[in-house]
Amino acid sequence: MSKKSKTITGTLIILVFLIIGFMSFMDSKIEYVNFAEAKERMRTVEVKGQWLKDKDSGFDGSTNTFTFYMKDDFNNEMKVVLDGAKPNNFDVAEAVVAKGKMKDGYFQAKEVLTKCPSKYEADGKEVQQKKGG
Amino acid sequence: MIGKFLVYAFFTTALLSSLSYYLTHLGKEKFLKAGRLFFHLTAIGILSTAAFLMYSILTHQYQLAYVWEQSNSELQLPLLMSTFYSGQEGSFMLWTTMTGIIGIFLLNYVSKGDRLEPQVMSIFTLIISFLGLILILKSPFLYIWEKFPGEVEAGFMPEDGRGLNPLLQNFWIVIHPPTLFLGFSSLAAPFCFAIGTLMKNRYNDWIKFSLPWLLFSGMILGLGIMMGGYWAYGILGWGGYWAWDPVENSSFVPWLVVVACIHTMIAQKRTGGYKKMNLILCIAAYLLVLYSTFLTRSGILGDSSVHSFVDPGYEVYLALIVFISLFTLISVAAIIYRLKELKALNAEPNKMLSRESTLFIGSVTLCAAALVVLAGTTWPIFQKGTIDAAFYNKMNLPIAIMIALINGISLLLKWKQNDEKRFFKSLIFPLTLAIIVTLGLVFIGVQDFLIALFALASLFTFFVNAELAVNAFRKNKTSIGAYIAHIGIALVFLGIIGSSKYSEEENISLELNKPQEAFGYTLTYIGATPFEDPNNKRDTKYHFNVKIEKDNKEMLLQPVMYYSEYSKGVMKNPDIANFATKDLYLSPMGLVEPEAFSENEMLELKKGEEKTVGDVSVMFSDFDFGNVEMGGSEMQSGNYVIGAKIKVKDSKFTETLEPKIKYTDGNPEYLASNISGNDTYSFYFVKMSVKGEAEGGATATIAVVNNKLTSQKPKADETLVLTASIKPFINVLWAGTVILVTGFFISILRRRKELLK
Repeated sequence: MSKKSKTITGTLIILVFLIIGFMSFMDSKIEYVNFAEAKERMRTVEVKGQWLKDKDSGFDGSTNTFTFYMKDDFNNEMKVVLDGAKPNNFDVAEAVVAKGKMKDGYFQAKEVLTKCPSKYEADGKEVQQKKGG
Repeated sequence: MIGKFLVYAFFTTALLSSLSYYLTHLGKEKFLKAGRLFFHLTAIGILSTAAFLMYSILTHQYQLAYVWEQSNSELQLPLLMSTFYSGQEGSFMLWTTMTGIIGIFLLNYVSKGDRLEPQVMSIFTLIISFLGLILILKSPFLYIWEKFPGEVEAGFMPEDGRGLNPLLQNFWIVIHPPTLFLGFSSLAAPFCFAIGTLMKNRYNDWIKFSLPWLLFSGMILGLGIMMGGYWAYGILGWGGYWAWDPVENSSFVPWLVVVACIHTMIAQKRTGGYKKMNLILCIAAYLLVLYSTFLTRSGILGDSSVHSFVDPGYEVYLALIVFISLFTLISVAAIIYRLKELKALNAEPNKMLSRESTLFIGSVTLCAAALVVLAGTTWPIFQKGTIDAAFYNKMNLPIAIMIALINGISLLLKWKQNDEKRFFKSLIFPLTLAIIVTLGLVFIGVQDFLIALFALASLFTFFVNAELAVNAFRKNKTSIGAYIAHIGIALVFLGIIGSSKYSEEENISLELNKPQEAFGYTLTYIGATPFEDPNNKRDTKYHFNVKIEKDNKEMLLQPVMYYSEYSKGVMKNPDIANFATKDLYLSPMGLVEPEAFSENEMLELKKGEEKTVGDVSVMFSDFDFGNVEMGGSEMQSGNYVIGAKIKVKDSKFTETLEPKIKYTDGNPEYLASNISGNDTYSFYFVKMSVKGEAEGGATATIAVVNNKLTSQKPKADETLVLTASIKPFINVLWAGTVILVTGFFISILRRRKELLK
């Protein structure tokens, strides 16, 4: 093979790869939205917010789902049904990120990530608390 | 004070060493001694700092904020030692320590003979000074009163530390992070060789020095990545060994580049070509380490990863950016400065069907994989969101097929020649075997075309390498390490096909002592037993014992769940039955305890709502909290009483009742209320619910129990809910990774021997 035809073949392969890559990339992008936007989108999205601890939550063994209420950063409230058990560190999470889709009236989450800086980064109050007991 | 002083000291000596070495490079030979001396001082400084931190941890110096945050007096020695690096400050300290140790070996190596010592060491010590700078900004030696000024009085000594995050409390934290950081740190060596060789303008012998280091990095990083996978699989219960999480990805990308570079370096050794590519790949590998540190430590991916660290603060963020930018700048500048000389480095043209050409194509393919993973991992910086794991799987499948095929083909080709006839002849044996086995796999269920092709390609390279390995073993050839590593990767590929593509999953509810079938096994939950974890006496952990039976054989699996005081939540660990051809994986989800009341006895009522059961009707008017404040200190303590006001009507009377729930340490006791003159029914307040507005806001659940019926009703038992899955041929994957690492190890021994010649 001549050098020229090698370069052309190489470039073609790389181009095809890039195009396929770009297309599948666009397909698998998961956007970060609020619940209002999630209602408009049919695809999987991520919503960040706070767990509303004073509202009902619980694990249902028969469907293997964990249900809780969540408020996104724009104060939209939503019932979230997670496929699976309550995530580790859920109770101390400063914020939670639910990944999934809107269903009729609730958000069906495939996964819930928890952000727990409060526990990993302590504050001075905690040091003082230990002082007493 | 000692700790901080030591950090400042080695930061300064590292800078001085860098400067002295640089002057030596410029021709002032008399500075060589100073460069070495300052490096020795730096190494002593780093090791003393590390020793001091370890001493502070082992002797529980809780006045140090880092020690207080990460450890407590309960932790047993191995876990206590691992708190050295379990937090962010400490992990930078670990990185620095590993780099320092690598430096000792590196200096010993480059100071023998003409091995670019001034150039390599001037860059290497510059790296160390940057690590020192980060430790100055993010010091593990802050006192608690420095960390929390105004909140803690100076000189205060807490009685105990906060303890280690229970997620990290297992064997793997003892060895996984040190391994990974050793791999990361060791990549500084090939990087310095590449920059050093550009400084020196001499492009032939540097790969000889770099290759053993690169093989070492490849082995150690590979080992570290695999341990992380096993940790996720066996302990954390993520269900799999690989989730394309940013932290996983950012150790995987440099590894791919290292592997690519190893192959083109071997091609350069044999043919003299690919000099530019090797330089660039060696540089890229370390820059990618820095970049991934930035991604995972800066907090920039905080929303998209389960284990990204928290925001380290503005100064560290900036220091990391300067660190990456500076070394990228040095690399780019060095290449541009030598562009003319680099362009002149032309090798003889390659033949298409030669080993070097296929090695090159293989390396490019590996880099393509690295690029795919890098693009997906970087994406969240540009737009809030993440990339679905499916993207990585979809893109990497064709790449992996190509890698397997190219690997097999390249080994059947000769260096520097096109011998088509011989090549096609040598294809027959491995290809035939691979086709036969693949057909067998298709027969037992591998129906997906790309997956079957992946299996075929993996089997092909497996047989090619197996044949070569057997021959090499007979003739006692030294290249056996490479063949063994390739066999390992082929097995990893096959294991991935089996354990991910053909894994099955099922949710199972196991009522106590009631056997259930799943995947051909009989599962019986036989109860929970508490056990004590010496590292964590605060929490009582429970084994949930599940008896597994098949063909009259019996075994016990014990997934774990417990309430963690530290995390304020239930922690869960899976348990695995490891069989020759598959794993049975039990991941606990929860324990459903029997309800005090049956479903049809309970009424859920909004305020003012009325419902009828049998011949009584119940109307809920309001809650009665008494003095208890919603979410207040009494509720937090778990000892309080709340009530509900209800109006009950039967055929004769209307009466207002106030059934109550009494909580003792969070456990409810339902107090019965009866209406006068009618003891058929008892009324209980069961639950207060607060739901979304759409679902009625606050409601009370009232149980109306018919006392005549209840006495005869059998009570239900507790139920263990778990997810059971089957992971076929996962042993092939683990065996493959071990074989891969062994192959690397043998290759290192060989390349070392070459050097000593």
